[in-house]
Amino acid sequence: MTSQPTTPTTTATDDVVRVEDLQVNFYTQLGVVRALNGVSFNIPRGKVLGIVGESGCGKSITGMSIMQLVASVGKTEGGKILFNESAGGNPINILDYERNSPEMRKIRGNNISMIFQEPMSSLNPCYTISDQIEEAIRLHQTEDKVESRKRAIEVLTKVGMPNPDRIADSFPHELSGGMRQRAMIAMALSCTPTLLIADEPTTALDVTTEANILDLMRELQSEIGTSIMFITHNMGVVAQMCDEVAVMYLGRVVERATVDDIFYEPRHPYTIALLQSIPRLGRTKGILASIEGSVPDPYSRVTGCPFHPRCPVAIKGVCDTILPEETIVDAAKGHTVRCHLYS
Amino acid sequence: MLNYIARRLINMIVLLVAISFIGFFIIQLPPGSFLDVELQRLRSLGGDVSRDQIKALELRYGINDPFLVKYWKWVERSSRGDFGTSYMTDQSVGERIWGRLSVSLGLSLFALLFTWLISIPIGVYSATHRYTIPDYVVTLIQFIGLAVPGFLLALILLIFATRYFNQQVGGINSSEFMDQPMSVAKFIDMVNHIWIAVVVLAFGATAGLTRVMRANLLDVLNMQYIQTARAKGLDEAVVIWKHAVRNAIHPLVMSLGTLLPALIVGETLVAQVLSLPTIGPMYLDALRAEDMYLAGTILVMLSGLLLIGNLLADLLLAWVDPRVRLE
Repeated sequence: MTSQPTTPTTTATDDVVRVEDLQVNFYTQLGVVRALNGVSFNIPRGKVLGIVGESGCGKSITGMSIMQLVASVGKTEGGKILFNESAGGNPINILDYERNSPEMRKIRGNNISMIFQEPMSSLNPCYTISDQIEEAIRLHQTEDKVESRKRAIEVLTKVGMPNPDRIADSFPHELSGGMRQRAMIAMALSCTPTLLIADEPTTALDVTTEANILDLMRELQSEIGTSIMFITHNMGVVAQMCDEVAVMYLGRVVERATVDDIFYEPRHPYTIALLQSIPRLGRTKGILASIEGSVPDPYSRVTGCPFHPRCPVAIKGVCDTILPEETIVDAAKGHTVRCHLYS
Repeated sequence: MLNYIARRLINMIVLLVAISFIGFFIIQLPPGSFLDVELQRLRSLGGDVSRDQIKALELRYGINDPFLVKYWKWVERSSRGDFGTSYMTDQSVGERIWGRLSVSLGLSLFALLFTWLISIPIGVYSATHRYTIPDYVVTLIQFIGLAVPGFLLALILLIFATRYFNQQVGGINSSEFMDQPMSVAKFIDMVNHIWIAVVVLAFGATAGLTRVMRANLLDVLNMQYIQTARAKGLDEAVVIWKHAVRNAIHPLVMSLGTLLPALIVGETLVAQVLSLPTIGPMYLDALRAEDMYLAGTILVMLSGLLLIGNLLADLLLAWVDPRVRLE
């Protein structure tokens, strides 16, 4: 692990992506689901940002929004996603582009790429691994067939494929889950993107393979310098992978800190509860702590702090009426929290 | 792969032999024989047929031979390319079938092409524009297509063609071209005649296949690899046509195997209405007249087409989807 907890974040000046007050609503037949209620966070250049939260908190939607790949029932109704290709450059607002516009397609796969949760179904069964990797290379980098093939083999070698030439001509169904995820990573990195969005890339893998893939991603990250937005619900993975963490609850970022602060000085009651619900070998006695209640119905709106119905330290008359603002608890480390206990 | 094709071909021959045996057996099951039908016809014309004449006819057609002897004679001669003589017309069966089978086959292939060319793009459009007005319109037309019987549609088109386009309809050629060799003018005349049949045959099949294409594409569009393709920065049209359609087309390819003989037999009613010289009406007549050799040969040929169609469909599927490729 190479994270340096004491380094103050220089994020204010050099972010790859800065998401500001992002709001995404889903219009379904049952009603409106407010998937993202003003999400704000930044991804510092060359760092790994973990996005953590329960299912349905909006982690994946946030990732998809940056790629503009949210299903068409989901409407982005406010906010900005500022993407800065190189340090010191002029950031562009991704949301200014149409979903299927040439400008947006040029960013996708080239500047920002994505790895998905299901390695079993994220590769097209009808085309060989090399076909699928070369497709991206030819789209963004070179149209030369020999050159694109060469680069595909290179990137497959880079992700530690044992026999890249043979793997290149294999079909997805001929590979194991771990191999497929390596192939996906190879595809995502084939155009050396500035940002890689990894949406629970190891959730579907067994623990041994998971450890291998995480090591690989860490290695490649320090080698290529790609920034990573790592979406997960697994705190163990966060500890292993991330430099900084944003904790999400019901479509909002509730706490944002360095990885060490999250584990050693968590502030938000939700973060604390999340950490308490991790089983620890030999240390846990009795029943494992869990967060009371469950995530509220997505069609209803909770007044005040969205976490107050489940919060053990909620202040009556405050938490259930006023929505807490983002408060800075440690400016040097960039530690912020949305909770009335600290405002 | 070659090994696999060879195995399939051997299987097909065994199957054809079994089909011919059972088919021949069933065709001669009804009481009486072609001769009874023929005698009745002669008597109704007023003539009387003497016992000696009947004997002579029986001997000539081998009516009283045991089943196995008849079957064996037929198979043995068929293997030399002689499918026997039709009782009804005294013509060679091969000669009678050949002309009609080629018309049927041509018509079916046209209809098949038409079906695919229409149902794939419409199915794709319908799926990518789900729950929009064009999708509802397409769906409505599909249900009408499934519900209206082919012969009725043929009649309606006939009326339109004669009344508003002043076209000579029925048959595959106008009378002036009947006995002429093939020429450009004759070909154009033929197209003018068979488009009704092609449209009628294709309409029902198109309705069904469009529905299947739509449903399948909707499933495939939810797959993760479609998101992967989009995340690469591909244009939505490439995502749909290169990544989604290829995965959604399996049932259409598989239906090819059964569609070919279905189109050939399914046209019987339509062919009657349009008086097309296809195999369907002939098969029906042959069965009613207990014309065993003719009926038996048609049955075996249709079965052969079914088997060949299935083999082609399997090979095509293996080409489309690597997962079904066999070692």
